[in-house]
Amino acid sequence: MQFAKDSFYAALRDRLAVVNPTRTVTMNGAVRPAVIVTQNEPVTAALPLPHAFYIEWGAAQLASSETSAKRPLVALVCLLSYGSSGTLDGEVNRGREMGALDGELFAICSPGKTNKRDLTQTPAVDLGSYVIWTKPQMKDIQTDRKTGLALFRTAEVTVFFFPEVDWS
Amino acid sequence: MNLALRGTMQPLTRRVRAYFAPVDRATETPTVFDPARYGAFTLDTPPSPWLDLGWIDNFQRSSHTATDALRSGARGAPMQSVRGALGAEVEFDFREWGKLQMALEAGSQHMNVLATSATATPQPSGGVSISAVPLLLGSTASELQVGAGAVALFVIGNIIAVDLDYQQQTGYVGTGLSAAYVRNAADVQHSVDYVRRVTFNVGRVSGLTTTSLLLAQPLLGGVPAGGASVQKVIAFLDREGGSFFQEWSALFVMEEENGARVCFYYPRLTPQRKTGVSGVQTEKLNSVVAPIVAVTLHAVFLALPATDANDGEQILCYRSFFPAASAALY
Repeated sequence: MQFAKDSFYAALRDRLAVVNPTRTVTMNGAVRPAVIVTQNEPVTAALPLPHAFYIEWGAAQLASSETSAKRPLVALVCLLSYGSSGTLDGEVNRGREMGALDGELFAICSPGKTNKRDLTQTPAVDLGSYVIWTKPQMKDIQTDRKTGLALFRTAEVTVFFFPEVDWS
Repeated sequence: MNLALRGTMQPLTRRVRAYFAPVDRATETPTVFDPARYGAFTLDTPPSPWLDLGWIDNFQRSSHTATDALRSGARGAPMQSVRGALGAEVEFDFREWGKLQMALEAGSQHMNVLATSATATPQPSGGVSISAVPLLLGSTASELQVGAGAVALFVIGNIIAVDLDYQQQTGYVGTGLSAAYVRNAADVQHSVDYVRRVTFNVGRVSGLTTTSLLLAQPLLGGVPAGGASVQKVIAFLDREGGSFFQEWSALFVMEEENGARVCFYYPRLTPQRKTGVSGVQTEKLNSVVAPIVAVTLHAVFLALPATDANDGEQILCYRSFFPAASAALY
């Protein structure tokens, strides 16, 4: 499962570097594309960074109609969150910034597939199958100030992959 | 308290496993599944020459061997039972696609689309192919010796077909498994590559040595015949309208969840298409989550008879049951 998560993350990260090379964050002193897997970062009380895509992994289950397969397709819920308080005084361009982030999310999620790779090795090893995912289902924009951001949105995609083990 | 309960007799299963093995087409001799000898085989490693066909779904057997009553007397009372014509079918969905699954579902000769040069005249089943590479001594079912120069013609991941050159013969062709029937050499354009165009001896290159190709899975026909050659395959292909009939022995096993195994052995199965007004649906689309669907192959087979040597009866299918340990027997 970790290979699928890593491959999905790497695909979005690499695509964002092409779609908008200036959309970066600085984490632990390193500048990188603004795609962040929450569970891979140090646990802190810091509020989420603006203008960055946060990946959170949710429930996993066998895909519909696949339950009797020896190696069933697994469906994994993925939440992609991002927000903005704008970049101008009075946060007056926050809506336009969210629009830009929405567009970039669609761009980096398309096409909805990537090779499943073992990224723990250098160079990465192609594992011979694909990770595929649904189109992002965007939820309503929130204005919850608990995030510290004026506008905040979560989109949900379902990521599918074949696991590395057979189900006996 | 009386603990002398009768042992459980209910078979439980979560999937049906499918195995196929070749029928010797020249003699119509099936591969025999002897439940005494092979019944307890490990399902992931079937005894040779049985081949695991992977995940199947919606397995359904049907018997068309009717019985009726012989009646007589003024009231037409049934006096005894009689059996009508033999008949049995089995159908299911292949949930996985491969050379064998496609061939079995389509039913006619199954083709390997051989790699062509950029200048070859286009043909719907593949044009004139790039010349084959002869195999050298020392080739096995898993390693093909081609020599230092020819190795460079292949890369890891290539699909290849291995078999003899077509020698203008008529009859069944294909090493190990009958892949097609040639009635006239002119029908196949006298093509030296025809056998490789239909052979079941295909593999994927998983590694390269300085002189050989290593295969991810062994060739179905075993060690290549002397004089065999190898060619690159781009795709697999079947056709609506081929004249050849596939014929295979088949074994279906209801995988035991509580120790009780049920096996169905069909000595000879041949593809069946009973077309109604709306025809036959050959592929099914199983929704995963819209718009993603899993594509399956819906296969229907007609059982052909074989003679049981124990009593001379003509048999279409055998059902064997292996009770769970400690289960009551009746």
